[in-house]
Amino acid sequence: MTTSLHHEESWLLLPWLANGRLSQTERARVEEHVRACAACAQELALQRLMCQALTEPERVTYAPGPSFRKLMQRIDARPGTGRSEARRPGRVHGLPSAAFAAWRPPGVAFAASFVATIGLALAGVSAYQWSRPVYGTRSDVTNAPAGVLHIAFERSLPVGEVEEALRTAGARVVEGPGASGIFGVSPAGVTRPDAQEMHELARRLRSDARVRWVEPLAGAPAGAPRPGSP
Amino acid sequence: MAEPTYRGVVGVAREADLIARVAAGDRRAFEELYNLYHRRMARFLTRLTHRYDLAEEIINDTFWVVWRKAGEFRGDSQPSTWILGIAYRKARNAFRSAARLQEKNLAVTPEPLTNEEPFSTEELRDWLGQALEQLPMEQRMAVQLCYELGYSCEEIAAIMSCPVNTVKTRLFHARAKLQKLLPRLAGAAAPRQTGGTA
Repeated sequence: MTTSLHHEESWLLLPWLANGRLSQTERARVEEHVRACAACAQELALQRLMCQALTEPERVTYAPGPSFRKLMQRIDARPGTGRSEARRPGRVHGLPSAAFAAWRPPGVAFAASFVATIGLALAGVSAYQWSRPVYGTRSDVTNAPAGVLHIAFERSLPVGEVEEALRTAGARVVEGPGASGIFGVSPAGVTRPDAQEMHELARRLRSDARVRWVEPLAGAPAGAPRPGSP
Repeated sequence: MAEPTYRGVVGVAREADLIARVAAGDRRAFEELYNLYHRRMARFLTRLTHRYDLAEEIINDTFWVVWRKAGEFRGDSQPSTWILGIAYRKARNAFRSAARLQEKNLAVTPEPLTNEEPFSTEELRDWLGQALEQLPMEQRMAVQLCYELGYSCEEIAAIMSCPVNTVKTRLFHARAKLQKLLPRLAGAAAPRQTGGTA
């Protein structure tokens, strides 16, 4: 025996009748009202349609690996959050005071030569910095993993089309996208791609008009950079 | 309330066990828990923010908290409610700090979406995505938690830290706006009549 609901109460509960999350009692009461109410029956059909549209299988495949690695790097970079982590070397400002207490200048001559050495080293570093360009490029990557191409799409491109473009070219995402929307991709189904495979993948991606640019990482075995690319 | 349809009791117990292991510093358990949630949250948050990089940032902010606070999880709520609750607060903060999105949400001037061509399921989903974009963040979140992730009203209230009636009200207003924005969607279900409360 159930007690029928008022229309307003039934109307409010329809989303959960559609997603199947009402209790048995509530469901029975709402269903009883819906059977007698054309407006609620129509609304229920609409609610079910919306549930169906939002729970359709996703066209995009998300890769949690790169994101998780970023998170672990972040955790490991914060002292005290890695739990079982070993102690890390402290920064200069974090040196224990005992280290300073133990250090004593052995003499004025030694101190002067020490200062001169530091000065020369700083001058060398400064000269090196001045000799470097002030701009950076996407290929200025240290520790670049082999077999990875950096790729950027038009920013307005829907995620589904990005996936379609990558699939068509036979590429899989191994990094990113980062804040600037740049992915790292490799040939799909190949663990250690050789130079030819990387070159072919770069060629296929560059032939897609939706791709803004494709560049190999420094040292990666891919084709020559496209002229005019950043 | 009924148990979640997408996950059984075994799944809930498994997740609670993973959280307990995370509290003890087990990184493998943490990765397993992360992988369990990443797809669901990435889809949910990408639809919410329209930016995968921001979605990824919110996911990692959420699991950063999970890593640090796992020891405080006592099982008073389901693991998914606890984790999604953290994600909700992180997403809300991200929205608040994004002035552009905030302005968009404050100035809600929805335009009806019209299309004379018959639509496919994909098209319907795209339309719905566009319509959701025009809802205030709290309403959009409630819609997605209900329709997309299949949470009960009580669970959504726990995730959003608000009363159950507030959830119902948010859904009510969201539905009213979606009705105006999706004439084709309404037409596909059945001819519209007036219904519901004011």
